[in-house]
Amino acid sequence: MKTAIKQWLDTCRAKLREGKLTEGDLLRLEALLTERKQMVLYLYSKSTNMRSPIASWALYDPTKPDEPALPSQELPYASVIEAVCDGWRIVQFPISKLYQFSDIDNAYLGYEFILEKWT
Amino acid sequence: MIDVQPTMDDKRVMNFVSNGYVVLEGIVSDAFNRHCETLPSGQIDEFVNTPEFLKEVLMQPEAAGVARSLLGKHFLVPITAHHHLFETPHSGQFWHSDGISEYGYGVHHLQCYYYPKAVSLEDGPTMVLPGSHYRLVEREALAHYGNIIGQLSLTVPAGTVVMTHYGIWHKAGPKLNSTRRGMIKYSYFRSSPPKRDWVTNSDNVPPYVNQGRHPYASEVECYRDLIRCERTWAWLCGVEPNDDVCRGAKLFMDARPLADISY
Repeated sequence: MKTAIKQWLDTCRAKLREGKLTEGDLLRLEALLTERKQMVLYLYSKSTNMRSPIASWALYDPTKPDEPALPSQELPYASVIEAVCDGWRIVQFPISKLYQFSDIDNAYLGYEFILEKWT
Repeated sequence: MIDVQPTMDDKRVMNFVSNGYVVLEGIVSDAFNRHCETLPSGQIDEFVNTPEFLKEVLMQPEAAGVARSLLGKHFLVPITAHHHLFETPHSGQFWHSDGISEYGYGVHHLQCYYYPKAVSLEDGPTMVLPGSHYRLVEREALAHYGNIIGQLSLTVPAGTVVMTHYGIWHKAGPKLNSTRRGMIKYSYFRSSPPKRDWVTNSDNVPPYVNQGRHPYASEVECYRDLIRCERTWAWLCGVEPNDDVCRGAKLFMDARPLADISY
């Protein structure tokens, strides 16, 4: 049993014996039992503007097993802003000065926005 | 010395310059493809040095003709190879380029993929990203890329050889079945300075013709791609590029000299 849940159960037992157990205590237990997981979506935008088209994407969903899936050319979202409208939260914006380039050379592909959603 | 004839013309060379690969479908005989059916996974240097492999694959006229066209008359023929064999489902490799990026705009190294057996989408085909071969990259920093607009799954018939610029981004795609999917990888190399001695009908070097925009490229990247390709084209043709007194502006130079103006 996870340490946090066990500790809270011990606390609840003590509170129950003292007649001090409340609904809030049960809600806290419920929250501990409902383990939320972070999904991460990388969107590579064609510019630092959130409305630019997408060049590439990768979804990491820890709730699903790592099973092979066919490659796709169907964008999950047309732009970063569209993903935000669907409930994704941006956790990292591209930092322009980190994108090294000379006049004709660059090593990266698109500007990386990292987004999260909790399930 | 065997006199290998070039097979590519200006148009095909320009296409390679832009995309970074040539696909030669079904060029290896069915009999030899079957000969590879039981080949084990791993390094197969002895096998590639057999007269049969040399004749049927490495010196197959179309394959050798591409090597001759892009690497010159004195190209070096492979003596090592690796058999990449997948026989169970997997999620696919990460995007990567092999080894370290080979910098510059020249073509010194053609890395080839030979498929003795037909490859379907479910078999986990090799995937390549056309036009990615000029990006100097930290290969482990590509690993989190997923799907990329314009990526290509090499679903090919048996006996196909794909010849790539060494720097091209590639990976083994996701495999959904347990069908044997083998690919023999080996490389030809340049040993002489570049020269436009592929199939031509004139000694005049034509200007590079823009081959179009890669779907993943941003506005500025498609300009960069064009200049990179122009440099590679000039390099392959053995033409020394002029000093760029315009500092890149000639890409947009719709203008005329003062000497042409009168009013």
